[in-house]
Order: sequence, then C-alpha cells, then structure tokens
Amino acid sequence: MESNIYISGVGGQGAIRLGQIIADYALQKGKKIKFFKEVGMAQRGGAVHCEIRIGNVFGSRIPPYSSDATVVMELSEGLKALEFIKPGGTVILNNNKVYPIDLMTKPEKYPEFQEIEELFKKTKAKIIWINAKKIAIDLGLSVAENVVLLGALSYILSFDKRVLLKILKKNIPREIEKNLYAFQEGYRITEGIKK
Amino acid sequence: MKKLLTGNEAVAEGITESGADVVTGYPGTPSTEVVLTLLSQKKKLDMHIEWSVNEKVAFEIAAGAAWAGKRAIVTMKMSGVNVIADSLSSISYSGCNGGLVIFVADDPGVSAGMPEEDSRYYAQSMIVPMLDLASQQECLDYVKIAFDISEKIGGPIFLRSTTDISHVASDVVLGEILIRSRKAYFTRDIAKYTKAGATWCMAQHRDALNRLGAVIEISDNYISESGIRVNETYLVPDSQCGIIYAGAVQGNFQEILKNYNLNLSWLKIGMVHPLPEKRLKDFLAIHDRILVLEELDPLIEKEVIRIAYSTNKEITILGKLNNTLPLIGTYSFRIIKKGIEALLEKKLGADENIDVDLTAANQLIVKRPTSFCIGCPHRGTYYALNKAIKKLKYKKDEVIITGDIGCTILGMNKPFESCWTEVAMGASIGLAQGFKHAGIEKPVIATIGDSTFFHAGIPPLINAVYQKVNLTVIILDNGWTAMTGFEENPGTIPIVSGNTSRVDIEKICRGCGIHELFVIDPYDVENSIKTLMKAIDCLGVSVVIARRECALQAKRRKKNTVKYVVNKEKCTGCRLCLNELACPAMVFSPKNEKSKAYMSINSACTGCGLCESICPVGAIEVVNNGK
Repeated sequence: MESNIYISGVGGQGAIRLGQIIADYALQKGKKIKFFKEVGMAQRGGAVHCEIRIGNVFGSRIPPYSSDATVVMELSEGLKALEFIKPGGTVILNNNKVYPIDLMTKPEKYPEFQEIEELFKKTKAKIIWINAKKIAIDLGLSVAENVVLLGALSYILSFDKRVLLKILKKNIPREIEKNLYAFQEGYRITEGIKK
Repeated sequence: MKKLLTGNEAVAEGITESGADVVTGYPGTPSTEVVLTLLSQKKKLDMHIEWSVNEKVAFEIAAGAAWAGKRAIVTMKMSGVNVIADSLSSISYSGCNGGLVIFVADDPGVSAGMPEEDSRYYAQSMIVPMLDLASQQECLDYVKIAFDISEKIGGPIFLRSTTDISHVASDVVLGEILIRSRKAYFTRDIAKYTKAGATWCMAQHRDALNRLGAVIEISDNYISESGIRVNETYLVPDSQCGIIYAGAVQGNFQEILKNYNLNLSWLKIGMVHPLPEKRLKDFLAIHDRILVLEELDPLIEKEVIRIAYSTNKEITILGKLNNTLPLIGTYSFRIIKKGIEALLEKKLGADENIDVDLTAANQLIVKRPTSFCIGCPHRGTYYALNKAIKKLKYKKDEVIITGDIGCTILGMNKPFESCWTEVAMGASIGLAQGFKHAGIEKPVIATIGDSTFFHAGIPPLINAVYQKVNLTVIILDNGWTAMTGFEENPGTIPIVSGNTSRVDIEKICRGCGIHELFVIDPYDVENSIKTLMKAIDCLGVSVVIARRECALQAKRRKKNTVKYVVNKEKCTGCRLCLNELACPAMVFSPKNEKSKAYMSINSACTGCGLCESICPVGAIEVVNNGK
C-alpha cells in the first residue's frame, strides 16, 4: 500500500508545514517516507511545493499520474500538479488566488476559475472545492489555510485522527483551540462532499 | 531508532556518530544544512564547528586537524570544490594521519543558479577517492565509511551528494555514537608535508596513487552498519540486459522496477572513484546490452566502454554518448523509464493521461518573478543607485554594473534591472577592472554582498587600488550570508556560534588603501542617492558600504518597531511605489464602481519606509509597533 500526496502553493501559505505534519504522522505510524520540498524563493513571493510519499516507495518524486491526493493551495500554481494527478484520486482546490506583483495592476491576466476547473476535471479525479482561507479568517486566524486543508486530507486518506492531532498540536504556536476547530471544519466539509 | 531526516541532516547525524572533532564549511545550496544542523546542536556536541570565510580556508582548517590525527570534515557545494582545488591537490599528495572527509553537494537540475558542474572530475584529477550517495540512509552510514576508509588509507576522501538526496527527507535508522579520544599530535616530516623538490613531490605522487589502489580492495565489499553494500551486483540468471548505476538515480530506478514488475540485472556503484574494475568486468562478461544511469557527465559510462573493450566481446552500451539519456538536469521517472525502454527495446506502458492538456495548463500558469524580500535593504540601495546614475545624466544602458553571488544579484530583476553580470564569488570587482582596462569610458560599478566580499572580494579590491583603476564598489552589507539561509560570517554580530569576534568591512577597505570610502543607510533614500553620486564621480577606487541588517533577520530578532499603512483618502492610485519598489507587502486595488484605485500595505510590512520616502502625495503613514 502506498500513498502519494502533492501539495502546491506560494510562500507564506504553510504548504511545507502541512507536508511536514503528514510526514511526521507517517513516521509515527512506522511507514517508509520520502518527503520532497521545493522552497527556493518562498520569502520573495515565489512558488512552493512539496511531495510526500508514504509506504513501499523509492523515488523522492511522485511518478506521473500517481498522486492519490493533491492539495492546490493557490489555483494557478496547482496547474503544475496536473501531470501527477491520478485518475480516480482526489484533488482539493483551495479557492484562493495570489497575485504576483506584476499582475496586481492587470488581474484580468490571471486565469478564470472555470478555466482552471475545466483542466482539473479532465484528470478524472474527484474534485473538492474548499475556501480554506475564508474558513480560517472567519475563525479569526490569519494563517490557518493549511490546517483546514489538513482536516480535508485527513478524511480523504483516512488518517488516524488521534495520532495526527497530537502532531498538529505540536506544530501550532498559539490559538490551539481555534486551529483544532479549523481542522475539524476541513474534515467535516470534505466528509459532507464525499458522502 | 528511526528519525525523519533530510539527506543533509542525516550527514550531520553521521558526523556526530563518527565522533568527528572538527567541522568546517562555507554555505552553498544544496550543502548548507549539514553545518546548520550541527551548529543548532552545538551545545551538546564536543566538536569545533564553524562557518569559515571561504571553502579553501575551511578545507585547510579541516586538513590541519586531520594532519594532527583528528577526524575532520568540510562541507560545500560543487562550486566550492573549484575554490579548494589548489590546496586539495597538495594535501591529496601528502595524505593525512586522521580522517579527512570532503562533503560536496552537486546541483543537477539547478535548484540554486550556478553552473551545473559535475564534481566527480575532481576525484579523478586530484587522486582522491569518492563515495556517491544514493539514499538518505547512506548519508548517515557513508560518513562513517568515509572516515574509516580515510583513516585506513591515510588520505582524504570525497563524499558526494546531489540536491535530490540532500534536500529530501526520509525515515533514517540512527546508529551508535562513537566515543573516541585521540590526542592531537603532528610529527615533522618535510618529505611528506612540503613540496620542495622533484624527488619528494614524485614520491608523494606515487603514495597518492598507492592509496587509491588500496581503496578498491577496501571499498568493494564494504557493508555499512545498516547493511548497505557500497558496491553491489544483482544478477538475474540468463539475462542479456544489465544496468549500471550510481547516485541519486537509484530511487526512480527502483520505483520503475517495482511499478512495471521488472526483474533486471544491475550493478550499483557507491564508490565512483576508483571504480570496481573487476566487478564491472565480470558484469560486462555476462551481459550483451548495458544501460548506464548517472546524472550529469558520462564519467562511469566512458569507463564502462573502456572496460568493455577489454572483454573482447561485442556489448551494446546505452547512455549519454549515444544520446539515449540527457547530459543536463536530474533524471526523472520518465527519463529513466525511457532509458530502460531503450535497453529492453520495448514500451513499458503508457505514462500519459491523454485527456489532460498540459500545454494549455502551462500557458495559464502565472509567472512569479522574484524580487527582494519585504523590507530588504538591497531594494533601497539599487533604487538609489539607479536614481544616482540618472541624476549624473548617464543613460541606464551605458553604465555597466557587475553583480555578484548571493541576494545582491536579485538587483538584476525587475523593477531595478541594475546588474549586468554574475560569475563567481568576488568576480564582480575583477570583471569591473577588465571593463575599464578594455577602454569603457563611462563609470563601471561593482555590487557585492558582505559575505561574498569576505570570501573573495578583498584580493580584487587590493588589485584595483594597486593598479589605480577608476571604479566604484558597492558593498551591500546586510550582516548575514542570507541567500543560503542566514548563516553567520565575519561581519555578523555574533549570536548563534557564540565565541567569535566581528571583523569590520570599513577597516578592511581602509587597510586596502581606499580613501574614498562612504557608508550609507539604504533606508535613507535621499542621502544614499547623494552619496552614490559623489562616489561614482570620484577618481580612483571608491567604495560605498550600504549597511543595514537583513530585514528577515531583524524581524526574527524583533528589531523592527514600526509598520506603514496607506491613507486611502490621500492615495491617488498612481502606483509609483509598486512600479519602482515592487515590495511583496504591497497590494493594489483597481478602480471599481464603489471605489477609486488605491494601494495598501499588508501586515507583513517590516517598516523599511522606502515607500513613504518616495510617495509623491505623502499617502503612506507610519504606525508604531504595527498598532
């Protein structure tokens, strides 16, 4: 049994922390792990992505069309994941666009939601839309998109919640209760959609 | 016990478990985290750990410790091996008493912009054995093997990684920490440790070759603590096809064997120099078709062809030389699969999802050009430099600005587009002199960061003074080796490594004979422009030190006291701040039915105040402590 998880976003969204929590969880469960991180220019508004491979795996990168769960934290960046999404797998689309500086004055150059969704639909993966940023902000948390998405992933990949939450708590510097609620919201919404 | 460790963290663990005494290095992606990890555990480790001023110095320190019988390791990226090469050949010929390991991380696929150089050539040209890492577990295990072999043969050894090993985390089994206690000693032996005379040098050459010969014997059947064989052969009876591989390709290769249920003969090489000749010859003797998998240059492939020639039998060898595999970049799942398909002369099944339009997707992906971080002092320096050039009535395309390695090179990007060149550590100052001697009449300016200046910027500065060149050097001194992850350098206020003393760049410049020396605060726009104009107009070598701590480090140390906000009423939405500074904290809201166009600044503002300085309508206002 193996699971491949692809997470993409931009600097500051917590994509790598999300990956790290999952990798730590897999270690706790005694699994083999490969955890690849692309951080490069994160501090400077650059792209960020990570890949977590759990189980009987060897290569550090997900082979083409083999990602069981794909988390798109920023819509345009998510398009880079298309060639890894497994038909029949799950894609979580976080309803968030982050404009690079030169597009701020010409937002019309950013692709439309529908255009992006169309491309994802063709992967034959199950698509789940979550507005993680809004959920986090409604809870009064400015940076908890990744926690909401962890909740969603936890449902999709049937993670052992007890172990996962223990690791999550270790990774949260403050506002633990609100963050746990954010996790639960992500879990609940995904459960509702999937059922 | 198992731990989730990146390759570099595993190397650090291996160093701890080996009971190493001295660890040195110079930061460079993808090698930096080895020393960073050890420095973070410094208090509980009984070893000397340091960021040295450059790789050559770092290597010489490690070599000195190894000559005194201790275990020493030096870390660097592939470009660093170019820097140590001069000392390496001498120390390789002399050998050593203790264990001396050179850890080098190559960067195929270029995760941090530098030439995609293959450091394995140095193992050949410098007569130094080299272990090539193929997994994170090996990162830990092979440090111990490297020290062991180095001590057994009495000479230095390379331990080579690549980005895909160093920067990937995996579950790694930890071992026992070796407790050693060896007193430092060094016996005077000028026939071994000096190069005075042909007899001694040629005898040392012979010794180095003998050490290399001894390595084949020792390494070929070496098994690591967790059971990994350095060189290993796996044979499938009656198979015609075989694969010879080394390094990071192992992961994807094994993945393909698993995915397509293949059972193929293979030979894994962990010691890439010297190669296991006999093992290779035996393997070639029983296979007719061979695929060689190695990233970057065809070093092993060429040797395999040479050994194949001696078998007196026809063998087809597939690799880079017959264009089956590329010379550039990392070897992905797809590339290795293509290689195996060529070997087996059959397709292994489709790897395309024909419904997914990747070309259309690629066209939609938004480009994210990188600029300076929020509050970066270099933003102020390059802004002021461009303005100074303009005010001196020069056109932007007639003033050559040579850039250098590190964060400072980001001045080449929009909106500044200042730097014209980037070569190697310290090269900005040497190149600039060449432009002047070639007859470039307009000003030539070199920009260089503090750590890069310490590393290799001082000799070319002395040369410029010595040769009386008209030149302006701007040292962008943010107090940290920031690009690679905020390491300390001689100019840093010591906080992490503790017992170090600070070296003043200003005094160095004065000592080098610089009379026209200016210090500016890049956050003070008006004065920076004025001072830069004056410096560019000077005769002889002028130096401007643009000094202000890296904004991210200042923020971590809670040194920022203010933030800025935009007064929406006053803002005209002219976007001057956005166009001229391109700070990632700026947000532009276009005009709509409810509101005019206006700028805002998000909470990540670190309070540099540059936007306030240049706003033509005074719409940007300061708030204390971000409240």
